[in-house]
Amino acid sequence: MNSRALFIFGFCCLIGFSLQAQSLLEEVEEGLEESKTYTQATFKTTVLALGQSVQVRKEGSMEFSWNSRFWNLPQRTQGFVADRMSSRFGLNYAFSDRFTAGFGITTFDRYKDGYFKYQIARQGVQGKGWPFTVTLFQNAGLRRSENQSVYIGDSFSEKLSFTSQMLIARKFTRNFSMQLSPTFIFRNKSSAPVDPAQHFALGVGGRYRVGGHVSITLEWYYLSNPLNSIQTYDSFALGVNWELTDLMLQFILTNTPFMAEDGYITQTRNNFNTRDGNLYFGFNATLVLHLKKQKPKQ
Amino acid sequence: MIRIGLVLVLGLSFLTTRAQNRYIARQGQVSFYSYTSVENIEATNNQAFSILDADEATLAISMLMKAFVFEKALMEEHFNESYIESDIYPKSSFEGEIQDFDASLSTEQTRRIQGKITIHGVTKELEIKAKFAREEDLLILTGDFQLRVADFEVKIPPIVAGNIAETIQVKFRLQYQMYEQ
Repeated sequence: MNSRALFIFGFCCLIGFSLQAQSLLEEVEEGLEESKTYTQATFKTTVLALGQSVQVRKEGSMEFSWNSRFWNLPQRTQGFVADRMSSRFGLNYAFSDRFTAGFGITTFDRYKDGYFKYQIARQGVQGKGWPFTVTLFQNAGLRRSENQSVYIGDSFSEKLSFTSQMLIARKFTRNFSMQLSPTFIFRNKSSAPVDPAQHFALGVGGRYRVGGHVSITLEWYYLSNPLNSIQTYDSFALGVNWELTDLMLQFILTNTPFMAEDGYITQTRNNFNTRDGNLYFGFNATLVLHLKKQKPKQ
Repeated sequence: MIRIGLVLVLGLSFLTTRAQNRYIARQGQVSFYSYTSVENIEATNNQAFSILDADEATLAISMLMKAFVFEKALMEEHFNESYIESDIYPKSSFEGEIQDFDASLSTEQTRRIQGKITIHGVTKELEIKAKFAREEDLLILTGDFQLRVADFEVKIPPIVAGNIAETIQVKFRLQYQMYEQ
């Protein structure tokens, strides 16, 4: 009987010791409540290369962007560095963590565009939550009429075009993200009667991080029903992003001078190659200002 | 049979008593500061979790790196993605022994805590001077210490080397409650 009692006492002590054997640190790690988190930085920038990425900024962030394209004409001119240049100056503001609105103006064709983005789903971490980040994008673009005879006489509404996109992206690994962008473009009036007023397109893009702050991006837009009046090609872009401070830089090579959706998706007149007139070098410089300071959660 | 029951009770009580003198702190506050002539950076984590064992005079703290909140959202993103790599090393922790700790003291006591800190997957020995104070039922631990960024294999590109201090100041405030099971 005594030996049995001793055994039980010993057994209890053993449990006691084994409980103690689990270190305090292990206990703390177990007790740490994992708050619900979302995948960060599927893409670093709100623009992938040509088109929008699923990324939106946190509430109170204002983004200034200066996107530029430089290219040569087939008949070189005496232009400084490059024959032609176009810039889009843009401004956007994140009204909430999900909703961003912005506008921009392009110098070369004086195209004006305004847009908003709304993030409807955010990819979770470690297989929890949504497998994708989904952002809706809607823009309205206004083409100019001066000096472009085909547009003369068009009313304001006839110069408008609308682009709707559903951006779907997934961060597959810490370095690799991909995005699909089904796109619908509607133009109130086409420049030629034979041209469709509605276009369906699909964008495919990706980002691969090669270093701590450097990543490579690729983007390609497939247009299912191109214009009939002119020969167009699908737009393509290859870029290197440098994502370091408040100022983020993207250097890109592409075959389109356009920076608004209606332009680069439907009106790209050159295929991607290195001939003068076809190759466009560009950069997107984005400066993020935080107008609202984040406060630690209580 | 009665004797067995008695021994069992004795054994179990032995079990429970060893876990009795424990304190627990949820939502502990840990902040760090980087001061340079170019830029001041600070971030606060209000979600640190800690257990203090008064009998053993040991304590352990753990926190999620993603829970650090910066004034600038983009800086927080850079911090998690490119510097601290919180997708690979989600947690930071500290485990240490408190020298000459007396839990029964109702007055303030300043003690040394000798232990190990783990950040970015790198573990380093660390000695912290910390203050223990009583506030009703609470045991409040406050203190600060310094860490060298280079010790934790955090890569900083030369172009921003001037923006990030080589030595980071860390402050903490943990509010412990008696642990009730």
